[in-house]
Amino acid sequence: MEKIPIILDGDPGHDDAIAWVLANASSMLEIRACTSVCGNQTIQKTTYNALRVMALIGLDVPLAMGRVKPLLGQPIVAPSVHGQTGLDGPQLPEPVVEPLAMSAVELMAQVLEKSKEKVTLIPTGPLTNIGALLLLYPQLKPKIAQISLMGGGLAFGNWTPAAEFNILVDPEAADIVFRSGLPITMSGLDVTQKALVFPEDFERIRALQNPVATVVAEWLDFFYSFHRTKGYAGAPVHDAVAVTALVKPEILTMVKFHVQIETTGDYCRGMTVADRFGVLGQPANVTAVMDIDRKAFINLLVDAAAYYGEEKK
Amino acid sequence: MNKIPIILDCDTGVDDAIAIMLANQIPQFDLRAITTVAGNVELEKTTSNSLRVLELINADIPVYAGAAAPLYRDQVTAGYIHGENGLGGIDLPLHRTAVPNITAWDAIHAEAVKYAGALELIAVGPLTNLGLAFLKYREMPRLIQRIVIMGGSATMGNVTPAAEFNIFADPEAADIVFTSGVPVYMCGLEATLKAYYNHDEIKRVGTLNSKPARFFHDVTQDILSFYHEFGMPGVCLHDPMTVLYAADDSIFETHHVNIRVETKGKLTQGKTVTDLYSDKKLEPNAYIVTNVDREAFQNKVYELMSGY
Repeated sequence: MEKIPIILDGDPGHDDAIAWVLANASSMLEIRACTSVCGNQTIQKTTYNALRVMALIGLDVPLAMGRVKPLLGQPIVAPSVHGQTGLDGPQLPEPVVEPLAMSAVELMAQVLEKSKEKVTLIPTGPLTNIGALLLLYPQLKPKIAQISLMGGGLAFGNWTPAAEFNILVDPEAADIVFRSGLPITMSGLDVTQKALVFPEDFERIRALQNPVATVVAEWLDFFYSFHRTKGYAGAPVHDAVAVTALVKPEILTMVKFHVQIETTGDYCRGMTVADRFGVLGQPANVTAVMDIDRKAFINLLVDAAAYYGEEKK
Repeated sequence: MNKIPIILDCDTGVDDAIAIMLANQIPQFDLRAITTVAGNVELEKTTSNSLRVLELINADIPVYAGAAAPLYRDQVTAGYIHGENGLGGIDLPLHRTAVPNITAWDAIHAEAVKYAGALELIAVGPLTNLGLAFLKYREMPRLIQRIVIMGGSATMGNVTPAAEFNIFADPEAADIVFTSGVPVYMCGLEATLKAYYNHDEIKRVGTLNSKPARFFHDVTQDILSFYHEFGMPGVCLHDPMTVLYAADDSIFETHHVNIRVETKGKLTQGKTVTDLYSDKKLEPNAYIVTNVDREAFQNKVYELMSGY
């Protein structure tokens, strides 16, 4: 089977890191490049974290650094969730490569230009890089197979009552992406809050005893320490759902909607506004992931973590 | 039994009409007045429809006409759902008139003063009249026990993707009500979409041998087709559910939450922004009703209609 060529674009971040662990372990995906974006932490920290994750999982592809802030406005960071480094918890190996001199947008464009096949983008942070890519290189849109993103929530938000963090940080970029006409698979809070990894699942991963599995288990320990205070029964590994949508779509429930991004408002900036009853009469622009077979998702994560033990044998 | 003094503020409307019929049968209510507001249809019609329903059920309750338009927006109506006349084309006799020269907000204030803090408001249309009462009378917040509204939603809209009709029609008035300091109990779409009456249940009420019961049946026929077109199993009794909630909350699920009204967003004007499902929690200022035991609700409506 032909592998799906992808670009991983994220702001690691514990759940981004686990999403990348999952993507790199999948025989269905071919990672062509990684790009960093400011979100969970500053661009310096997310870039450093991205390189450390790549070193940990042996991912040897080019990485370029994103913009220091969103398209408009100022960064918002999430130290309460991801710690001061943006990836607090276990010790990680130092980066083995430097980021490229070119920007994230330039690297994405280069990968798209060079590729014979269409490339799938997997953004798991704010959509700054993808928005900039569409502004700068509209001629490359036909080279994008689809955008499988983690962001938004059709029914509710998390960082504000109405908005999910990734969309809230850069609503204008999200607006550009959602109006692009490109196929979008949106893994929002509707599903990602059900993508819960319970403490007993951490132990299944820890018991694998390979270096990656050990780190993943410790990331989950840290990530859950925040979510436990919010009443969660486990760690919602949001970003891994955006990868799951490509490698195991059969465990997800998806529904098509017309979705727009609110960029204004006193309380609703960054909200993904879904037309659930079709009152606007507009065609669907988003395939929204609404539900997940949680047990199958855990098995997928455990298998991915186990992959790193087999490789060493 | 100490009855609760109630004013029902409505934009009558098919489900408002049913709400009036039920409110009149609820033993724990002392229904002091009906106040009317423009909403589902124009004020002239919501007022005359309220009078017609009261005449039908032979209830001697005063009607005070209120605001003909939202505080400062263009009017939106829903005649396409409720029929041109607001009562699904049903023609009820009218020999009564509204109380002359007293506005809805003045009537609300006068009753509030009279009951010295015990008055409860049930508002099932746009919140314009309540907004005006708060704008005019400084002491209003401590004179109202609570406000139970039909409107809004934590997770969805109906007239727009983000907003429910009553709040969308006058978001500024809704904002005044939610920030008034009076506890607001919001019966939003999460619950009211579950409070439906299907074809057979409507028929069952229709066979009760009374004029109000036959009216219940006839007035819901056109709107039933509307709901069926949207794939719903029956007519959502948004406003009747709200009246029943005000009388007895035991068959409902309620949460104490923070609710703010978005008045500015391009896509989200009129959204009731609720922190119920968010990681971000704010100071609770209102209650949201998210669920109803539909079977119990359905039976309660039938039981009350049997009273005629």
